[in-house]
Amino acid sequence: MITLTILLMAAIIFCSRYLFLEPRLPLKLSSNILKFLSYSAPAVLSAIWAPIVFIQQHELSISLDNHYLISAVVAIILAITTHNTLLTTVLSMALFFLLRFYQ
Amino acid sequence: MSSQKSSAKPYSSNWKAWLAGALAVMPLSIAVIPWGILAGSLALDAGLSPFESQAMSAIVFAGAAQLVAVGMIKAGIGLTSILITTLLITSRHLLYSMAMRAQISPLPLKWRLSLGFLLTDELFAIIAKNKDQANQPLNPWYALGGGLSFYLTWNIASAAGILIGHNIPNLESWGLDFAIAATFIAIVTPQINRPSILICVLVSLVCSVVCELFQVPSGLLIASLLGMACGSLYAKATGEGE
Repeated sequence: MITLTILLMAAIIFCSRYLFLEPRLPLKLSSNILKFLSYSAPAVLSAIWAPIVFIQQHELSISLDNHYLISAVVAIILAITTHNTLLTTVLSMALFFLLRFYQ
Repeated sequence: MSSQKSSAKPYSSNWKAWLAGALAVMPLSIAVIPWGILAGSLALDAGLSPFESQAMSAIVFAGAAQLVAVGMIKAGIGLTSILITTLLITSRHLLYSMAMRAQISPLPLKWRLSLGFLLTDELFAIIAKNKDQANQPLNPWYALGGGLSFYLTWNIASAAGILIGHNIPNLESWGLDFAIAATFIAIVTPQINRPSILICVLVSLVCSVVCELFQVPSGLLIASLLGMACGSLYAKATGEGE
C-alpha cells in the first residue's frame, strides 16, 4: 500500500512538472498567455517568500522584533543597490543570524 | 551527450555551466536540509520502512507534498485523499512547466525528462534568475547543475533524517527558512523594472500572506495567479512596453 502510494504520488507530481514540456502536446500559447506567464517568476517567488517573512507563529508580525522582516528589508535594499544575488543572500542571512544570536 | 553549441554561450564549458547552476541553488539547498531531515524522520515515524522513506525522497522529490503525505499516512487517511491533496499541492508545477515550455520543449527527450523531473520551486527560481541576468536562452547544463545538486542535497538530508530517526533536534527553530526568503528577494527585486511587475509582486505578496493567515488551500497558486493577472492587465491597460 505504501509502495502504491509512493508510486502514484510520484506519477502525479512528475506529470504536473512535465505536462507542458512535451512538444507533442497540442498547445499553442497565444501572445497574451505568454505575456501573462512572463509574470510567473516574480509572482510565485514573492508568494513563497512573503508568508515566511510576514507571518510568525501563525500571526501577522509587522514589528521591529521580527528578525525576518528586518533582514528582508535589508535584503531588498541590498538587492536594489548591488543587483548581486549572492552578495544580497549572504549578507542578509548573516544579519539574520546575528540578530537571532544577540536577541 | 550533445554539446548544445547554440545555448552554451555565457559559459566556456558545460561543466562550468553545471557548476554555476549548482552555486546558484546552493543557498536554497542549505535551506532545504532541515526539511529533508524532517521528511526522512517523519516517514519512518509514519511507519514506512527505511527503504520506503528513502524511495519517497528519491522518486517523489517534492518537499511539501511528502511532508503532508506522511502526516496523512500516519493518521490513517485513505489513498484517494492523499492523492487529491498531492494534486492540490503540486498544481503550481503546472504553471512552471507552462512558463518553461518555450525554453525546454524544443530540447531532446532526455533533457525534457530530466529537467521535468527536477523542476522544483528552487530550480524554477534559479532559471528565472539566470534568464534575467544573461538574457540568453536556457542553458540546459546550468539547469541540470542546479536541479541535480538540489536533488542530491534533498536525498542526503532525507537519508540523514532516516538515520537519526526519532531523535532529531528542533531544526525548525533555527530559522533556516530565512535563506529561502533571502534568495527569492535577491532574485525578484532586480526584476522589478516596470510598474506592472511591481503591481504583480505587491498583489501576490499581500494575497499570499492573507491566504496563509486564513489557511486557504492552494493559497500559493491563488496568490500567484492573481498577481500575474493584475500585472499583465495593468500592462495591457496602460500599453506598457509597446
